[in-house]
Amino acid sequence: MPDAFDRVRELSEAGLRAIDAARTESDLLEAKGQYFGKKGAISEILKTIASLPIEEKKRIGAAANEARGALESAFDARLAGLREKERLAKEGKERIDVTLPGRAPAIGHRHPVSRTMAEIISIFQRLGFSVRGGPEIEKDYYNFEALNIPKDHPARDMQDTFYVDWPGGDLVLRTHTSPIQIRTMETMRPPVRVIAPGAVYRCDSDVTHSPMFHQVEGFAVDRNTTMADLKGLLTEFCRMMFGPDHPLRFRPSFFPFTEPSAEVDIRCVICRGAGCRVCKDSGWLEILGCGMIDPSVFGFVGYDAEEHTGFAFGMGVERIAMLRHGINDIRLFFENDIRFLSQF
Amino acid sequence: MKILYSWLKEFVDTRLSSAEIQDALTMAGIEVSSCRFLGEGLENVVVAKILAQGQHPNADKLSLCRVTDGSSEYGIVCGARNMNPGDVVALARIGAKLPNGVEIRKAKIRGEVSEGMLCSEMELRLSEESAGILILPPETPVGKPMADALGLSDWMLEVEITPNRGDCLSVLGVAREVAAITGVKVRLPSVDLRENGPAISDAASVSVTDAELCPRYSARVITDVTVAPSPLFLRRRLALCGIRPINNIVDITNYLLLELGQPMHAFDLDRLAGGTIGVRRSGVPRKFTTLDGGERDILPEMLLIWDGEGPVAVAGVMGGRNTEVLPTTRRVLFESAHFAPASIRRTSRRLGLSSESSYRFERGVDPGGTMYAADRAVSLFSRFSSFSVARGSFDVGGGKDFSRTVTFRPARASRIMGREYTEKECGEVFSRLDFAVRKEEPGRWSVTVPPHRFDIEREIDLVEEVARITGYEEIPVTYPESGAPDFSPDDRFAKLVEDASEFLRMHGFNQAINFSFVSEKEWERYAALLAFDSSDAIRLENPISEDTTMMRPHLLMGLLHNVASNVRRFIEDVRLFEVGKAFGKSLTEGHFEEPRLGFVLYGRRLPGNWSGGQAAVDFYDAKAVASSLTEFLGAAPFHFIPAESRPFLETGVAAEILKDGENVGWVGAVRRELAQALDIPGIVYYGEIRIGAATAVNPPAAQYRAMPKFPPVFRDIACILPVHVPVGDVLAMVSELSEEIESAAVFDIYMGEKIGEGNKSVAFRVKIQPPDRTLTDAEVNSIHTKIVKLLENRFGGKIRAS
Repeated sequence: MPDAFDRVRELSEAGLRAIDAARTESDLLEAKGQYFGKKGAISEILKTIASLPIEEKKRIGAAANEARGALESAFDARLAGLREKERLAKEGKERIDVTLPGRAPAIGHRHPVSRTMAEIISIFQRLGFSVRGGPEIEKDYYNFEALNIPKDHPARDMQDTFYVDWPGGDLVLRTHTSPIQIRTMETMRPPVRVIAPGAVYRCDSDVTHSPMFHQVEGFAVDRNTTMADLKGLLTEFCRMMFGPDHPLRFRPSFFPFTEPSAEVDIRCVICRGAGCRVCKDSGWLEILGCGMIDPSVFGFVGYDAEEHTGFAFGMGVERIAMLRHGINDIRLFFENDIRFLSQF
Repeated sequence: MKILYSWLKEFVDTRLSSAEIQDALTMAGIEVSSCRFLGEGLENVVVAKILAQGQHPNADKLSLCRVTDGSSEYGIVCGARNMNPGDVVALARIGAKLPNGVEIRKAKIRGEVSEGMLCSEMELRLSEESAGILILPPETPVGKPMADALGLSDWMLEVEITPNRGDCLSVLGVAREVAAITGVKVRLPSVDLRENGPAISDAASVSVTDAELCPRYSARVITDVTVAPSPLFLRRRLALCGIRPINNIVDITNYLLLELGQPMHAFDLDRLAGGTIGVRRSGVPRKFTTLDGGERDILPEMLLIWDGEGPVAVAGVMGGRNTEVLPTTRRVLFESAHFAPASIRRTSRRLGLSSESSYRFERGVDPGGTMYAADRAVSLFSRFSSFSVARGSFDVGGGKDFSRTVTFRPARASRIMGREYTEKECGEVFSRLDFAVRKEEPGRWSVTVPPHRFDIEREIDLVEEVARITGYEEIPVTYPESGAPDFSPDDRFAKLVEDASEFLRMHGFNQAINFSFVSEKEWERYAALLAFDSSDAIRLENPISEDTTMMRPHLLMGLLHNVASNVRRFIEDVRLFEVGKAFGKSLTEGHFEEPRLGFVLYGRRLPGNWSGGQAAVDFYDAKAVASSLTEFLGAAPFHFIPAESRPFLETGVAAEILKDGENVGWVGAVRRELAQALDIPGIVYYGEIRIGAATAVNPPAAQYRAMPKFPPVFRDIACILPVHVPVGDVLAMVSELSEEIESAAVFDIYMGEKIGEGNKSVAFRVKIQPPDRTLTDAEVNSIHTKIVKLLENRFGGKIRAS
């Protein structure tokens, strides 16, 4: 019988060769079974040495353990190597094109008028104003009379009105959001601080006028509300809406429901005051009208003009959207061409 | 309104340039929208004289001229032939850039040097066409700049007058503003009358019956008049200001209208029956021919001017053809009256007849200035025409004091404006405006306002004057005191709509805005399909076009048109939504308007996706949107039932959305006939939510429930059902069967030969969730049995073997 010690040596070397030669995980496991598994050749040898003297047993046992340890580390290393190779092969196959778009509908777009309006509203909400709405088919009383625009007054010419064909004939499509002032004040005592957005209608149509457009009206009434406060509020609004480097100017104007009244101009956003076609070389763009609420309006809603004062302002949303986005024809807003809408 | 700078300077001595005046007026509330130099393009054009003229050696059609501008001589090649040596012409020198854009350079034309150009009227933009070059009057000084020679070294201010400032609709009115702003006095031209004719009372008479509509009537009479063209300066001024010159009589009234803002009318006195003027209402309906030739339907309440026989003018609006000034006119009565604004406005509107005169009377005219205007007219006229002036004048109502006294408290101005206005400042403003101040008691003034400022009636009007004349830039910037915050239910509504819009945007929808008015004609055409009843229509009295005659009853047509127009532009997938109102008649309030949210889906399910998105959208895509929106707005619990009475939706592919039995919206496939009518080839899915009805008012906060501690049990059941059984009902009833059933959801539906015609196989998974313990098999089986029985007995189902 060959020396068991030498046999262990031989097996160890053969085992290492087999591990080295394994190309797959199963080759490897086969090698393990053959040489150093529970029923492998090395274990078999250990079974045969029981009858040998103790010294001999020790010597062979130590050699067998050593051989097994070496084979196991070789096995682990080889296994890791094979798995890594396999993972890499798989990864190559599973690699996808991450530049393709994700699977979901493309996000849509808000209408630029709606977006601008939402922005205006949110600024004034942060400044302590609350939203109120009102009807678009409005009574002559709310649209005109109570706003100090009597019948047979030239101020009615300032707005070309759509009249609703209706028995009694006192219904119009509101020409401005100002009727909401009256409706609010009729039901509320001061202090009031309201922002009133909505669609309005005027019988007019060209590149800068649309028969339907949108306004945002705001008004505040309290014991000590002043024109200086109005100036402060609108200055703040314009800073938030247009950014800090657009100076404002307030110049006297006329609205039947405010006195004193003002038109507010912003430094031209296109030419920054140098003069251009958009601002008609004036360097200024008219963006809103405002003023102190006329005492006769207070008379219509039962407020005491000696006790309370208030201001009101109104702006055209389309105009502001046109200025911000460089849109030169108001009619584009109502064509709903997706190629237009998807730009905003 | 157009105001000539030179004319303005006749009334106010100011050193301000035209541009400075533009700025100063604008910042005082008289907006000057433009200020244009009239001589633009004439900078290098001078008056020149032709010294010699000869033939161009190399061109038959050209001539060679020697001209002088008084200091140098020039050789000019010229294409025109209407000139002769000695003629005075307009020479554009090298460097001139003409009003028509042509730049003059030194040039060699067919071998001859041309050192400028002789201009035609057209090249100088003096007329639309011209034959040959402009030949000036021989006395025109050679060397004078053409701008001066033509009276064009001047500026035209375009002034926008707000409706409350009728007093500014004239040179004088604007001059008064400039005077107040700059602190100088207005200069009124003095009148110089030589009354060398007969007594006026022998020639005519005036009687005013309706004095409340005509508070003042002034008139002058002139005789031995020769009707002729006005002098050039007058014709030019009228033309520049947009009024066509007629003859010296009519022109003088128009000149005064522009200058003083006082509308005047000239009657041919010889054509006034009995030489009498009466002012009174029509009394009866009648026809009357105005001097523009129009036959007018006069209503009884309209104010007319009468002679001894009948009406001769519509007061303040337009004179009559029967008494207008003719070339043969010898005697003229100049009317300079004041009429009540509202009456003139009503008359002008009812007649559909507006004139420079009615425009001013509507907005108010200085009642104190009628006599001065009549006198000024005669005085100015006498400077360039000879005639006799009748002795005396008419001035009915002239004795009245038209000024007004208003109380003013300086402290009130400070309180409203948020700036301290001192008494000194306020007094200074009023003095500049020619308002007289009397201090009644400390802090309380009586301010007397001259008649031309008829717009000042209340203290607030005086506050505005103080703020305006001191300048709005003097008002400080402060911030409103923040009182108690204001909450409104509309805030929540606005936020919900905003959030719903964002939800739709995130789901690929673009937001549309359509007009609220639609074409009734179109709705009529598809009345049956649109469920449109024309007796419900809310129509406009004065629509702007045929397409906008009626308020929309719902949002479908607008969105459908949007789909059509996008499809026409080769856009294959259209998802749009719109938030807007629908309108209709209602029994209780006559009419209603209601906020709606409409949406349309058209094209592929996942447009722009390279995988899995090519399938077309179907009902269930639209339903998911409707369902999410409804839930979002707070309408839970809600459910869908088949829609039976929405003709604009395909029967069988349409659902009503109900909440507590109330309809909150609908969704479905748009009727093919409608889509086809708009040339949309595919199927459009559309839904509309009644936002108000769907929105929960004050929804309670969600209440926490402990999560179950025990594992759920799932049971899958496949069942063959008759095809007409609504699966929604099945699921709802299964869920109600037992407390332990938490949910039931369909995971497969199959229809085909294997299960026989008229059947569908529905597979669904039931989740059984015991609240407080693990269920025994027996308990689960008993629930399962209940479900099976329900399916079999209630819905005629057959359980499929698994």
